[in-house]
Amino acid sequence: MPNVMRFILKRLGMTLVILFCVSIIAFGLIRIAPGNPAMLVLPDGAPEEAIRAMEVKLGLDQPLPVQYFRYIGGVLKGDLGTSIIYKIPVKDLIFQRLPVTFQLTVITMVVCLLISIPLGIIAGSRQGTIIDFSATMFALLGQSMSTVWMGILVIYIFSVKLGWLPSMGYGTWQNFVLPAITLGYPVAAQVTRMGRSGMIDVLKEDYITATYAKGIGKAVVYTKYAFKNALIPIVTIVGMQIGTYLAGAVVVETIFAWPGFGQLIFQAVGTRDYPLVQSCLLVSAALFAIVNMFVDILNSFIDPRITLH
Amino acid sequence: MENNVLLEIKDLQVQYVTERGTGNALNGLTLTIHKGESLGLVGETGAGKTTAALSVLNLLPKPAGRIIGGEILYNGKSVQKMSNKELMDIRGKKISMIFQNPLTSLNPVFTIGEQISMVIRKHEKCTHRQADEKTKQLLEEVGIPGSRLHDYPSQFSGGMRQRVGIAAGIALNPELLIADEPTTALDVTIQAQILELMKKLKTQYDTSLLMITHNLGIISELCENVAVIYGGRIIEHGPVKDVFGTPLHPYTAGLLGAIPSLEGKKERLHAIPGKIAGATNLPAGCAFHPRCEMCIEKCKSQVPPMATVRPGHNVACFVKAEGK
Amino acid sequence: MDKKILFSRMLKSKFFMVGAVLVLLIVLLSVFSPFIVQFDPVTNSLKDRLISPEYFASGLSGHVFGTDDLGRDIFSRLLLGSRYSLFIAAAVVLVAAFIGTILGAVSGYFGGVTDMIIMRLCDIMMAIPNLVLAIAVMAILGPNIFNLIIVLIVTSWVQYCKVTRNNVMVVKNAEFVKASQVLGAKKTHIMFRQIFPNVTTQLIILISQQFGWTILTEASLSFLSLGVQPPTPSWGNMIADGRNYLITNPWMVFAPGIALMITVLAFNFLGDGLRDVLDPKKI
Repeated sequence: MPNVMRFILKRLGMTLVILFCVSIIAFGLIRIAPGNPAMLVLPDGAPEEAIRAMEVKLGLDQPLPVQYFRYIGGVLKGDLGTSIIYKIPVKDLIFQRLPVTFQLTVITMVVCLLISIPLGIIAGSRQGTIIDFSATMFALLGQSMSTVWMGILVIYIFSVKLGWLPSMGYGTWQNFVLPAITLGYPVAAQVTRMGRSGMIDVLKEDYITATYAKGIGKAVVYTKYAFKNALIPIVTIVGMQIGTYLAGAVVVETIFAWPGFGQLIFQAVGTRDYPLVQSCLLVSAALFAIVNMFVDILNSFIDPRITLH
Repeated sequence: MENNVLLEIKDLQVQYVTERGTGNALNGLTLTIHKGESLGLVGETGAGKTTAALSVLNLLPKPAGRIIGGEILYNGKSVQKMSNKELMDIRGKKISMIFQNPLTSLNPVFTIGEQISMVIRKHEKCTHRQADEKTKQLLEEVGIPGSRLHDYPSQFSGGMRQRVGIAAGIALNPELLIADEPTTALDVTIQAQILELMKKLKTQYDTSLLMITHNLGIISELCENVAVIYGGRIIEHGPVKDVFGTPLHPYTAGLLGAIPSLEGKKERLHAIPGKIAGATNLPAGCAFHPRCEMCIEKCKSQVPPMATVRPGHNVACFVKAEGK
Repeated sequence: MDKKILFSRMLKSKFFMVGAVLVLLIVLLSVFSPFIVQFDPVTNSLKDRLISPEYFASGLSGHVFGTDDLGRDIFSRLLLGSRYSLFIAAAVVLVAAFIGTILGAVSGYFGGVTDMIIMRLCDIMMAIPNLVLAIAVMAILGPNIFNLIIVLIVTSWVQYCKVTRNNVMVVKNAEFVKASQVLGAKKTHIMFRQIFPNVTTQLIILISQQFGWTILTEASLSFLSLGVQPPTPSWGNMIADGRNYLITNPWMVFAPGIALMITVLAFNFLGDGLRDVLDPKKI
């Protein structure tokens, strides 16, 4: 359908513009940071000439626009700079760490949605029942749990008290469970809530009464005709939450010593590894923007009104 | 006459419970529809017309609306006592409904084809393809190219969407078609087109029609009989030519007086004084008495019963009934 | 809306009542905490290290939740920490709501190029995950409470802006606004007297929800030692301190963790309750 194509192209263009702006922000943030990056590269007490030489080597003697275009030119060619601390290309570091984070986030997300979408829909279609009440409580509690508190609570219960699962590390499936619960619970909570309220709103619509008037039963209305409408706000919220999710990964990976991208960002910030911080910001924004774009496109398939207007 | 009764509503009382109070939408509505009859139900906004229509299919909005008295008999069987399965078999197949607002009564995320063919697939054993074929025919019949089967509601104008609604309504040649103000939300020119379409379909199908509207013109075009509803109760009932020609109830007379006529000599329009009786604060006695010019003492305390004034023409009014 | 209906809805909504009572209680506890606490929450007292909780055995003068690794009373730190959490959240939410609402109203009311610029700005802000941006900015600016508030404002005004804009766009085209335009009302009059009252409902709900979010984010940043800095107590950094004593003194983590949970839960209850109470669609 040409409508869909036009929509996808438009959305792609918007993503590129946003990424361009984000790259300026990431670049600018690093420049306003106090301290001379050249001095960070060199050992303490390095002579003045060495610092000057390093500034030239890093391109810091050039005017800011030139520095920016050099940086962005490099990024477009796949060169994200070199880490000051690790002394290896930032690109390699990021590509090492991203799959580790993907493992955690993607699997968690899938499990989360498989649980929370049906839960929300059932709760919404049985308003006022015990299932609805339990789902609402599950959701409210999840949204009130701080990631840090949740993480440490599950460590206390499952590692310290019960001794069932390791409190940190990476490699086996046992390592996976606690970070996944910590990361997933708030997301599942939000999706459950959206599913519930979406379903309640949809069931009040005229077109649902019209569907019943055609002799369609409740079961089919809930699982097919009202479900698709209720899915729209869910997909939207999931898209918007991907960023929160990525941020949650920073905290979760720090708590559970999970050697992923989130931990890399945190360490880079702590060690003032500016080239790394800059590129991590850009990469996380890019990932977020791309996921969001896919979510929008997915939504346009569910909701035809998006591409038509 | 009595043995071909299709739908019988007896003394139906429906209540809405909301935060603002309890409203009595219907207060003893009695109405009979015979096979092949087309009956117009006319009344102002808030008189209880839509409530009556939804009650027939047992589709009152829950938990706010509920039937507190009376019964609805479809082919002699009580609709309220039917099982869910029986109801589902009747809805869409035996009794179908056309909704007031075509902008909200079609699901925006399903194609119009799906919204017609779902009723076919539900009630007839057929494949998706056969249902689609039939849907195409139905679309053509209501004046939409069959090729637009896969388009979504937002790609159609209001009038076209109402045609889709009509196509879904007549899909299975139901015994009774309830049309709840099918033209109210549309432009005047489109209203005329939809009306033409309904007239054409009426001659093709032998369906009974319950036409709910506040537009008297539509009734005189489409219906044989008319019932006037006020305050959740029928106040006058009879053949269209009798009721419109010699209205008995002061309210009906007022309604007719409020229509401008293009022919004849120019007269001042008569407006009915006062406001329509609200469901939350219904006057005692005859609901119309505060607005009535002929009101007598009895009207303020007693509900006038339905009385036959001439064959087939009934009225619920003390003054008019006594006159005969 | 009818005041009577509003009031009866408030009493009927369990979420609203529980949320309102809890929030009130928490705010009162935190405001009057200097009169309640018996110990200095900041000064180390190494001889009193890691005392087990006495609960309320000796009333408030004992170590209710025990002491931490530096001998400081956990209960005192908890109560005084609440002042930082709540103050930061209040400052952030109010300023962000103010900025976001104004930008959103301008964007929605004037439309055109203004709208486009503000909306693209929102898109860019939303393109960077909030906490990731906050982490980077805090690391660059240096962690202190003022910077923390600034960062949280920068990352949260967008929500208010979007909500206000969308509502203003809807209300702007409503008939009653058109009517007052026809009657020659001034733009400022239309904006503040006609449009604004119609978007406040959504804003009130959003503000109470954002309160919870801000408290959680502040806790995460403080946990990562990028927020409130020790020795100043905050629930986030108390959880971080307690991590290593989970086996011996779990209350070092439990006390701030549970406090955090109850506080955010209270605001979420309030937000949900307000949505029920203020819902104009409910008949």
